[in-house]
Amino acid sequence: MKKHYDSLGFWEGCRGKFASRKGGWQIGKGVFSHGYNMMEDLVGKVSYFQLMILHATGYLPDRRFADWVEASFICMSWPDSRIWCNQIGALAGTAGASVVSATTAGILAGDSRIYAQKTLLEGMEFIQRTLAKKKSGHSVRDLVLNECAKHGGKPQLMGYARPIAKGDERVRAMEKVTEQLGFSIGEHLTLAYEIEEVLLQEFDESMNINGYSSAFFSDQGYSPQEAYQFCAILVASGVTACYLDTYDRPPETFLPMRCEDIDYQGPPPRPVPPREE
Amino acid sequence: MTVKRRNERFSKAIPTRIWKEEATAENPFTSQSCSCYGYDLMDLMKNRSFIEVLYLMLRGELPNPAQSELLEALMIALMNPGPRHPATRAAMNAGVGKTDTVHILPISLSILGGKHLGAGEIEDAMRFFRKMNKSKAEDVYNKILKERVPPNEGDWRPVPGFGSRFGDIDEMPRQFANYLKSLPGAGKSLSWGSKLADTVKPLKIGWLTTGVAAAVFSDLGFHPRDCAGLFQLLSSPGLLAHGLEMAKKPITAMPFLSDEEYKIEKTL
Repeated sequence: MKKHYDSLGFWEGCRGKFASRKGGWQIGKGVFSHGYNMMEDLVGKVSYFQLMILHATGYLPDRRFADWVEASFICMSWPDSRIWCNQIGALAGTAGASVVSATTAGILAGDSRIYAQKTLLEGMEFIQRTLAKKKSGHSVRDLVLNECAKHGGKPQLMGYARPIAKGDERVRAMEKVTEQLGFSIGEHLTLAYEIEEVLLQEFDESMNINGYSSAFFSDQGYSPQEAYQFCAILVASGVTACYLDTYDRPPETFLPMRCEDIDYQGPPPRPVPPREE
Repeated sequence: MTVKRRNERFSKAIPTRIWKEEATAENPFTSQSCSCYGYDLMDLMKNRSFIEVLYLMLRGELPNPAQSELLEALMIALMNPGPRHPATRAAMNAGVGKTDTVHILPISLSILGGKHLGAGEIEDAMRFFRKMNKSKAEDVYNKILKERVPPNEGDWRPVPGFGSRFGDIDEMPRQFANYLKSLPGAGKSLSWGSKLADTVKPLKIGWLTTGVAAAVFSDLGFHPRDCAGLFQLLSSPGLLAHGLEMAKKPITAMPFLSDEEYKIEKTL
């Protein structure tokens, strides 16, 4: 086994200094990001979403793509306090926490296996993996049914079906945005529709916003990790709204609970035993 | 496709096995007694230690003295990740930056959720013990470690909970493990992990703090999925203390790199 270094030179070389690959503020000279002079090249010339994607991926996208992403953020920013991340915002409000606590806590909740930004990782990996298999000669129908078989024959494919409701109004909204902005339907989105067709026939289930966005981002050449990065604050705005819905009312008025509203399922009352020696 | 309600059956009440509150006669929203897994909270206050009730809260039963001693010793070992750990530095940045002090713990605990010497490594390390502790440490060395290639830069973490730190064996977790494995409550994970650490010593890798914590959690019977948060909880005192210490100091109390020390690799 070869030792990969024999001295502390690697860490000593990092100590007390930093070479940024992103940018920074050179006092008196300017503020730089990925080779752009921010005050001269970016402020007033690109949208915030273009900058956000630049910072999340290292590449400045065109305005059209950034506008598409911004529209998709609207689809994930509903002011409904029943949605899990939004409810955290509402609970923050009723507890008198700050708006920043509420919003960041709600964003953290979106690092979930079942909804919001983190599911883009699985959704994009699925559509990209499935496209590779389709290109190697597998039928879409077989691929979908094999995937369902892994989940006990249920249509639990990331990007398809959803809890609470059947169908997804956000897909239709984003289809209009895609058309308005002049994007064509690429091979991932074509496959996503083919998958949806099988699921509609077999399970009466359709594509959801994760499936549509995952296929669209894949068609635009982004990796799952890049999309996860530029969607980091995807749910933020809805959380803020739900926070204010409760912050502006007396504390603990958001769904207050009687003691009896908790369904206790643990052991019955018992005496604390003396300590063992 | 039109959007239709599924009519899934959601619970009408929040279920829990942990906590029961009895309402006062006058007001159903206020409680007159609380119990934890059936034990009255006032009785626990009078008769048990914080560590025993913490264990009860997370495991459902009170610990025996050996378990309690092992957990308490680990709690002291983990109490402060130290002022050089990224999570502590985040706490200190929040403090010196005059961030509202209610945010010091949430900020630093988020950073402590990482996979490098953080809570993000605990579940993997516990599953590693579960998977491997019927194998001989020498077999792990021969089957896994010899086949893996160290990185060209940075530390080598070939299996969860074990590796190098700044190119060497991390001395403090080695000392933690040596003491903890001598306690009556220590079990096979601490014992097996110590054998592995001895076996891989020639590679200049050994126990990491996360590995020691994972071994103790395993020996205490915790489920791997439950322990990321426990690791964060036990590391909280140091994070809070360092953040609060900096909150009382001027913004100049921490370094701010000069332009010469902060290079931008890519500019126009």
